[in-house]
Amino acid sequence: MDPVSVNILESTMVSICREMGIVLMKTAYSTIFSEANDFTCGLANMDGDLIAVADYCPSQIGGLPLLVKSCLREIPVSEIEPGDIILHNDPYRGGLHTPEHTFFKPIFVQHELMGFAVAIGHVQEVGGMVPGGFCGEATEIFHEGIRVPPVKIKKRGKDNVEVWKLLLANVRTPRTNFGDLSALIAAVDLGEFRTVQTIEKYGKASFAETVKDLLDYSERRMRAELRAIPDGIYRFKDDIESDGVDEGRTYVIEVEAHKLGDEIIIDYYGSSAQAKGPINATLGVATSAAYNAVLHMTDPSIPRNSGCFRPIRVLAPPGTIVNVDYPGPEVGGNTETHPRIVGTILGAMADAVPNRTMAAEGGTHSNFVFGGVDADTGDYFICYDIAGVGWGGRSFADGNDGVDSINGNCRPTPIEVFETRFPWRVEFLAFDIDSGGPGKFRGGVGYTKQMVCLNDEVTCSQMTDRHRFAPWGLNGGKPGGLGATLILKSGSETWQNVREAFGKKSTSRYSNIIMKKCDRIRLVSPGGGGFGDPKDRDRSLVLNDVVQGYVSPAAAEREYGFKDK
Amino acid sequence: MRNIIGIDIGGTFTDFVLYFEESRKIEFWKELTTPEDPIAGILAGLKRVQTLTSADKIRLGTTIATNALLTRRGARVGYIATKGFRDIPFIQRGDRRSHYDLSWIKAKPFAERRYCYEVNERLSAKGEVIVALDDDEVRRVAQAIRNDSIEAVAICFLFSYVNPKHERRAREILREEIPEIPVSISYEVLAKWKEYERASTTIADAFLKPVIIHHFDKVQERLAEAGVASSIGIIKSNGGEATMASAADTPVQLTLSGPTGAVVATRALARLTGLKNLVTFDMGGTSTDCSTVVDGKEHITTAFEIEWGIPIQIPMIDIHTIGAGGGSIACIDKGGILRVGPLSAGSIPGPASYGRGGTGATVTDANLVAGRLNPNYFLGGRMPLDLDAAIAAVGEIAKLLKMPTDQTALAIIQIANNNMLGALRAVLLQRGLDPRDFTLVAAGGAGPVHTCDLMRLASIPFSLVPNSPGQFSAFGFIVTDARVDKHRTVPQSSKSFDNERATLVVEELVSEAVLELKNQGYRENIEVYRSIEARYLGQNHELEVPFAAAEFTSETTADFWRRFHEDHKARFGFNIPGETIETVTLKVVAIAVLRKPDVKVVPEQVEEPHPFEMRKVLFEGGWLDVPIYRREGFGASCKLTGPAVVEEEASATVLAPGQNLTVDRFGNLLISD
Repeated sequence: MDPVSVNILESTMVSICREMGIVLMKTAYSTIFSEANDFTCGLANMDGDLIAVADYCPSQIGGLPLLVKSCLREIPVSEIEPGDIILHNDPYRGGLHTPEHTFFKPIFVQHELMGFAVAIGHVQEVGGMVPGGFCGEATEIFHEGIRVPPVKIKKRGKDNVEVWKLLLANVRTPRTNFGDLSALIAAVDLGEFRTVQTIEKYGKASFAETVKDLLDYSERRMRAELRAIPDGIYRFKDDIESDGVDEGRTYVIEVEAHKLGDEIIIDYYGSSAQAKGPINATLGVATSAAYNAVLHMTDPSIPRNSGCFRPIRVLAPPGTIVNVDYPGPEVGGNTETHPRIVGTILGAMADAVPNRTMAAEGGTHSNFVFGGVDADTGDYFICYDIAGVGWGGRSFADGNDGVDSINGNCRPTPIEVFETRFPWRVEFLAFDIDSGGPGKFRGGVGYTKQMVCLNDEVTCSQMTDRHRFAPWGLNGGKPGGLGATLILKSGSETWQNVREAFGKKSTSRYSNIIMKKCDRIRLVSPGGGGFGDPKDRDRSLVLNDVVQGYVSPAAAEREYGFKDK
Repeated sequence: MRNIIGIDIGGTFTDFVLYFEESRKIEFWKELTTPEDPIAGILAGLKRVQTLTSADKIRLGTTIATNALLTRRGARVGYIATKGFRDIPFIQRGDRRSHYDLSWIKAKPFAERRYCYEVNERLSAKGEVIVALDDDEVRRVAQAIRNDSIEAVAICFLFSYVNPKHERRAREILREEIPEIPVSISYEVLAKWKEYERASTTIADAFLKPVIIHHFDKVQERLAEAGVASSIGIIKSNGGEATMASAADTPVQLTLSGPTGAVVATRALARLTGLKNLVTFDMGGTSTDCSTVVDGKEHITTAFEIEWGIPIQIPMIDIHTIGAGGGSIACIDKGGILRVGPLSAGSIPGPASYGRGGTGATVTDANLVAGRLNPNYFLGGRMPLDLDAAIAAVGEIAKLLKMPTDQTALAIIQIANNNMLGALRAVLLQRGLDPRDFTLVAAGGAGPVHTCDLMRLASIPFSLVPNSPGQFSAFGFIVTDARVDKHRTVPQSSKSFDNERATLVVEELVSEAVLELKNQGYRENIEVYRSIEARYLGQNHELEVPFAAAEFTSETTADFWRRFHEDHKARFGFNIPGETIETVTLKVVAIAVLRKPDVKVVPEQVEEPHPFEMRKVLFEGGWLDVPIYRREGFGASCKLTGPAVVEEEASATVLAPGQNLTVDRFGNLLISD
């Protein structure tokens, strides 16, 4: 191994990925891309192994290797030509969920295939039963939007017009989708161009050799990290409240982590049989979540590539909520079940790596989606709106307040952008007092957004969580606050959940409710669980929480035995 | 007669540049910075100047605002928000600093939550009043502010960038109720959309106000005591000058003052030399700043963050800073890879060769081992360096790598160069600029040492080493102008573009900017530039495109749409012909062009330059016998071919084998491959 070349090539490739991401972020249309950064750009070698990636959305980073490999099984390398761009979104072909579109472009240097430039992004409109892709009541994949197996959207540098037409005919907002897909293409074009330049500079043989060394290096670092964790079998489980369809049933994610030497096996044996509704995770999600959890427990400076995933094995029994069988619905698996899996693994490892875990975070992105026809312009609009949650308390610090859940790193749309774009008025956006789980280190607080509808009609759906089962505490910490979605219909004086207001089965996963002008909706995001016994909390911290308004005096007395003199 | 003095207060040294208008002479000197009392350092330096008359001008790059923000020593701020929205500064943007890091603690705003107040008022996205401002409630909040011993107030209401009526009225009431407490309103700090960024900036402005007002009073008082009668200009983050009074009015404009000097100096070089595209590479002991000047203009951003998650959204020269420099320490990481930084030896203890107790192998030590720096001519020989200590330090790393010491030194230099390359990529490739169109301006003590390697790595064909590269920033201060930037978000679409409205807003911005200059006494040679941040309808990030006309008409807007499509293609590699374009923010820059030093032409070189010694220097191909020159003797048109080293007081320019150097008529060293 040449320790200088590895360093230089790694930073060059990460810089290329970052550059791809900047183009994507700046040119994409969906706010979920451009404000929320729900995308990832990476480079893969010709076997589909991830060789470099920029830090955008973590849930996609771990999923990338399986995605590219699955496509290459279907389109053999021999059929890939320079200038081709392959598009794919199928959850049953290594994908994460239907909205996640993967584009990749072969990197040829002097007629030889050296690898792929890859961009994955969440396209907010994919057709299907609801505007915005999150159908909380889907019972099969076909409800969730158009499925795209690996197809060439460009052939030898030319647009494949038939594919474009087919894609755009199946969505409600073809103009926006055209913009998003064009941005993804621009990103892989740039990635390919820059990587070709880099390979030409180093020479093909030296590039291939250094990439191999880089993956080995990451593997070595990961193994060293794992070796430092005490051997053992670690178990934990967490309950999920509903699937939006089969309301009588609850679900469990069960994890048994076998840590031995410098390897770890994440075994999901014992997790529930797959749900009828769309909370199932694909194999890609279950794998990505395991990688995500292990990366959280190890040194963040290890270069992220397939090398560091080598010592991690995943056992996900088919036909369960962590490895759904065709044609089960799955759109919530990537956003809701993924963070719950990560939380369960972190919970299992809490004793083994106490400084690198936390109590349960809110574990949902809120995923409130809506669409309709703008009364002023006549244009169809769609929005995918997300919210932050409280982080869990940690062995050394309180949970952060109001941050995106652990499998994303997304930013909610600013109110001034939101109201300029969409016919709602936000009436307040405020932290929820007492929603942070009490503990020696309390959980972070969640927040509530209340808004009033300004359009004649807006069609809304949601795929959120934690309306019944609160985020758990650790080591004697108490649970965090529950989330909620409440409706106040115009003229009414009672806030109702969607079951009461619209007869839906679940309050947290539902589809196509019609909000009318002057109807109000309140979206409450959950807080995080606390860490450690609340009695052990430093009194000055309790006092500060009361003074700053994070904990009410009553809760301070009840939970912490604290009375302000 | 009128002399100009530029003063740049750095971490270790305070740099002075003095231009005598009559003789056209420029003098450079340094004093040690006195961090506990920066004014003392200024006074010490000014003692070198015989007399200062009231006609003279002092321009000051100040670190007071930066330090107050970084150390969080500022006012107790009261924040007033629209009812329902006092948590905006705490909720922030919702993302986190880095993936996979569970130890992260969310950044805190510059106001405590207990001192955030709400008043009933609401505007729509179009600026219509939905709920009128409740005057009585503002008065009640004023009393709470007094009771809470608040020292400065920040007001940020939703959609105030469209309609400032409520923010202005609220301030008026506070002035009646609590006239002693300064108030910042978001509309005046920056009338741009996105409530968190605007609120964060407004809070930072209030946080700084009492500190800056107090500091400027002291500066004026002590300069007057010392008999200094000159007028004082303060350098703002946009690189322009402002009077002290104006700077104290919106002190957040001073967030990044000193480092802008190098970019302004680069712009001056562009004018002087006729070079169109320059990229500054200002490498010091602990940090390196990179920035661009394209077509004679610096790049201005409003995306600065003082720490991760705390935006300061003011128009600022876009400087990419990395915490790496000559003092960065080499180490072997857990996987056996050589890394340079992020640890730095700073100035104390400093590199091993400084002999102040440092033992880590720094980039400076590696340069010494490789013969690129002269141990006997550091700071002109005033600070001899310990070559043996450098060899010992680099040797420690060499043992771990099982490599020869000299090759290890070269490897440290290569990794350091690669870190610098990352900063250059960030300002060039990541902004869609092609390095092959640029000249690399090497400044700072270490910039000229690394430029020969870096220009090759970055595919930049030319490099320029200016005169006195070590005091380049202070030089920038004496060549700058007075400048005001005004932005306002007014979303409109190309489908239904209201020319009249756009013209009206731009005219308003122009008259506000010009008035602000005139109120400070800058009445002559005012130039105005207009531009628009626009995007395809549906995108969320804008592309800034110049708008040359003074008025929006069907012709001038049609020109603008065409230009937007072209620029989108140039920047991002594609465009969408026929697509609706949305204009978001209208921008105006007003510049009062101030008198510039007349840079003297150096005499022609008559004879061949003579090396004063030969020394062994290590390059990638191995050790070479290299001629060493002193820069002082160089005249215009002087030519050298590498390998060579050109030494001067505060720096050394290294020339790799095959590189050519020419001295231009102003004394700059121009390197080409």
